[in-house]
Formats: sequence, C-alpha cells, structure tokens
Amino acid sequence: MRVLRGILLAHALSAAGATAATAAGAQEPARTNRIGMEFVLIRPGSMVVGRFQPACPTPAPVGSRRDAVDAVDVRARWTPEDYRRCEEMVKRDALPGFTVHIRRPYYIGKYEVTQAQWRRVMGTNPSVFQGSKVDGDADRHPVDNVTWEDAQAFLRKLNRMDRTARYRLPTEFEWEYAARAGAERDLTWAQIREQAQLALVDKGTTQPVGGKQPNAWGLYDTLGNVWEWVQDYYNEKLFADPTPPRTGTEHVLRGGSFLSDVKNTTYFTHGAGPGSGFDVGFRVVREVREGGESRRGSRAASAPP
Amino acid sequence: MTHHRAARSPARRSGATLLLLLAGAAELPAQVGRIPPGFTPIFNGKDLSGWHVSRTTHHGTTPSFTVEDGAIVMRQRPYGQGGLLLTDKKYRNFDLYLEAKPDWGTNGGIFFRSTEGGSAYQIELEGGGTGGSGSLIGEMLRISKEVKPANIGKVWKPDEWNSMRLRVVGDVPHVALWVNGVRMWDVTEERNDLIADATDGMIALQLHWGATYTPVPDAFDMSESWKPGAAHRYRNIAIKELR
Repeated sequence: MRVLRGILLAHALSAAGATAATAAGAQEPARTNRIGMEFVLIRPGSMVVGRFQPACPTPAPVGSRRDAVDAVDVRARWTPEDYRRCEEMVKRDALPGFTVHIRRPYYIGKYEVTQAQWRRVMGTNPSVFQGSKVDGDADRHPVDNVTWEDAQAFLRKLNRMDRTARYRLPTEFEWEYAARAGAERDLTWAQIREQAQLALVDKGTTQPVGGKQPNAWGLYDTLGNVWEWVQDYYNEKLFADPTPPRTGTEHVLRGGSFLSDVKNTTYFTHGAGPGSGFDVGFRVVREVREGGESRRGSRAASAPP
Repeated sequence: MTHHRAARSPARRSGATLLLLLAGAAELPAQVGRIPPGFTPIFNGKDLSGWHVSRTTHHGTTPSFTVEDGAIVMRQRPYGQGGLLLTDKKYRNFDLYLEAKPDWGTNGGIFFRSTEGGSAYQIELEGGGTGGSGSLIGEMLRISKEVKPANIGKVWKPDEWNSMRLRVVGDVPHVALWVNGVRMWDVTEERNDLIADATDGMIALQLHWGATYTPVPDAFDMSESWKPGAAHRYRNIAIKELR
C-alpha cells in the first residue's frame, strides 16, 4: 500500500486521466515542441528501486594487488575477524528494495535542457560553461548552474509559452525508470563509460548533449554531463523511500555529472542539492494526455488497449 | 622543543640570523594537542556547526560523521559507503592546522579548494601514515604537479595524534605541508588546475568508498580502502586566512 500511495502521490501533478495503456497507444513515440525540445514516450511498467547488496571482499589471493597493498604493513591487512565483521555489516545494511509501478505513460526529454533552449524560454543564460569557458558553440551544451527553483521558473514560463502541453520535472521514480530503460541491474563500468560524460577532470567542462551512446530507450546523457533535478524533496537516505518526503531543505539530484566518478554515475545514485553549481541542470517531462493536444484536464473514458 | 631552540639562539640579532630563526621556526616539531597562536578554530569540538555533508560525492552520501571526545570521527555507513565533510565556507589563501589519527587499513584525506561534489586538491591520508600519506594529489581533478613526501614514515606516529599544517597561496597555488612540525614538501603548481578556473573552494575531510551498491563485475576492488568499523579522527582544526 505504501508503494501504491507513493506512485499516486508521484503522479499527483498529472492532469491526464486516461488509463496508461490507452493513452500510450494514442501517442507518438517521439515528439518535438515548438522551441525544439525533443521528447521520447515512456510506457508504463515496473522496477525494483533501492536495492543495496554490497559484497565483502574475499581474502586476497597471494600476489594480488590487494595482497601487495596489504603487505605494506601487517596492521593494514584484513584479519579473519575483519572478514567476519564485514559479512555482519553487509547483512545488517543490505536492502531488498521495493517495487515501483509506473502506471501512466509520459514523455521525457531525449536530452538535458540545452543553453539555447533555456535562452529561448528565459531570455538569459546562467551557465558557467559558455563563451570562452567551452570549446566551440555552447548552445548545445546543457544549461548549468541552475537551482531547483530556477528550473521551476523555466517550467512556469515554458507552460505559458506552449499551452498545448503540460511540462514539469520528472518525479524521482519517473527519472530512474526512464534512465534504467528496463535494466534490472546496474550497468558495468564499461557500459557506463560508453553512455556518460564523466570524470572529465583535466580542466573539464560540460559537453554538447547527445555525444555519447543513448540508453536502451533512446535517451542521452541520463548519466553524466550534468546532475539532473527531479521534483522530489531529499530524504537524507542512501536511496528514495517508497513515498517522497512532503517537505525538506534540498531536492534530489540524479545521474552524476562530467565531474563525477564512474562509481556514482549510475542510475541508482540518489544525490541531492546543492551540487557544485556548474554541473547541475535538468531534463523535462511533458505529460501525456488522452487525445493528444486536447484541452488541459480532459478526461477520457478508459478502454482496453 | 621550542624552548630548547630558543635557549640556543644567539644573542646577536642580525637581520640574517633573524630570518634564519623565522624560517627555522616552521621546522620545529609542533606541540600536538594545542592550536598554534594566530589560528582560528573552524571546528568547535562539540558539533559539526560550520560543516556539512556532500550529497554529490561518489564516496557516499550518508556517512557516519560524529563528534566524540572533541574530535570528528568518520566511519562508513552503510558498509562500503564513505563520504565527504565540507566546510560551509570557501577559502582561497590560508594556513591550515589540524591533528589527525587514522586507523590502520583506511584511506581518506584532506581536500582544499574543493567543490561541493569533491573535485579538489587533496593531501592523501592512510592509516598509520602508510602508502601515499602526505602526498599532494588531485581528487576528481588532474593537477599539474603531484608530490610525494620523502620522509613521512620517520615523523608519523601511528595510533597517535599527528599534527599537519598546510599552507596554500596563489591562484596558481604554492602549497607546502608540514607533518608533526617537519616540512614534507613545498611545491608550486604549473597552472590553476581547478575546474572553471575557480580560485577558492571548501576544505573537506574525505572518507573513501569501499564497495559499490551491488557487485559490478568490472568495478575496482576498493575493499582495502577501509577496514570494517575503522575510523578517521580529526581535532584542533584551525585556519589562518592569508591575503
């Protein structure tokens, strides 16, 4: 029940009343709005969120790297007691996760919001990585240096500019579901490096969106480039709860940035603001409504798919 | 030790001798357990006022950072997840004094000019003063000159409090480190290595990660970075801001 309530809450912003399957069936798999933002349709489904099952090391084989490191001083070496304690801690700390059902379809940005798109809507550009701070044209770089409130201001203005649709930040679960694109387990580090602009530590910058491999559902840069704001408040825990907090001091950030390590540039990492500023942006959800571009709040009769 | 040196000092106060004395003073073993004159505490010994936990570092976002017996005590929480404790304030040029006691089989360090997410210059600190302890390296930052201390093993006291003094001056930083009053190195970088040419940042204490959320087949094995239940401890953290 807690899970169900969470999902209902998560979708409280949704104006569409159609059942998931019907609405998805009536929608185009991709669309572009009048300011050039491209969206991909995400269909309903479910996923297990918040699984934490770290592994303890096995005693280092003689001659391995770990054996060599430990050999620096015998006091740094794991004792049989340390291995036993580790197993205890892992057992104590492991989390099985919980099932989240995404019951309605939604469109989500194929890319992070770019600086050109931000300027078209807001008339300004708050990004650190523009002009002489980047190689080439910054227009296709993600907007950076935006707070959660800045993102809301952008969305209010976008909603006024385009009254045919309703735009908002994704909920945290909508973000994770779209980023995972059906994956049940984490990607390997090799796969993450194929998809993510990360660890650009040598005078690095944000990168033009879409420069790496997309995920299985065609989304780019969900991992890396800029951290992405989602709608939810932060619960100050390792992972999200089934129901997001109603209040808080910070909002959740997802996906890591060009300056993150591969270790946390995963679609499981549950970060939060404020972030480092110049590595924080967002992507947008465009709600799906029955009958395509019909008037806001229309409610269609549900029918079997 | 200070008294001993003062007693030997010559009565003749030529400019050259005075300069030598001033230069030599920094080489004297510090009195561990007391903040040197001229430094302002940035940790009150009671709680973590003026500090906060990074929610965007890869080391972990939910570490156990507590204050026990006047010291900051840093432990992993949950297993394998470390973290980063940042000053609320950003610093540019400064002299930092602190005392450290890292348990064996651990890896952490002191960051300076750090971003919220933990891209920073780092003084590495491992248990027992072993490994790369006292090295200047980059953390999520390629720095133009890394430095290793030649003699930290001679001055580090495992299982005891050790004093560290770090001096950082200039946008292209000139950095020097003393451990237990002995100068380890003195280096000037070749450029300002910071992302977006920042010229200041937070001071931070790092607790390294040791395991991924779930096993990842090609992830680094970092399990040697933190023994189960081990801690890093810091106390008497104080700063002298410089122009």
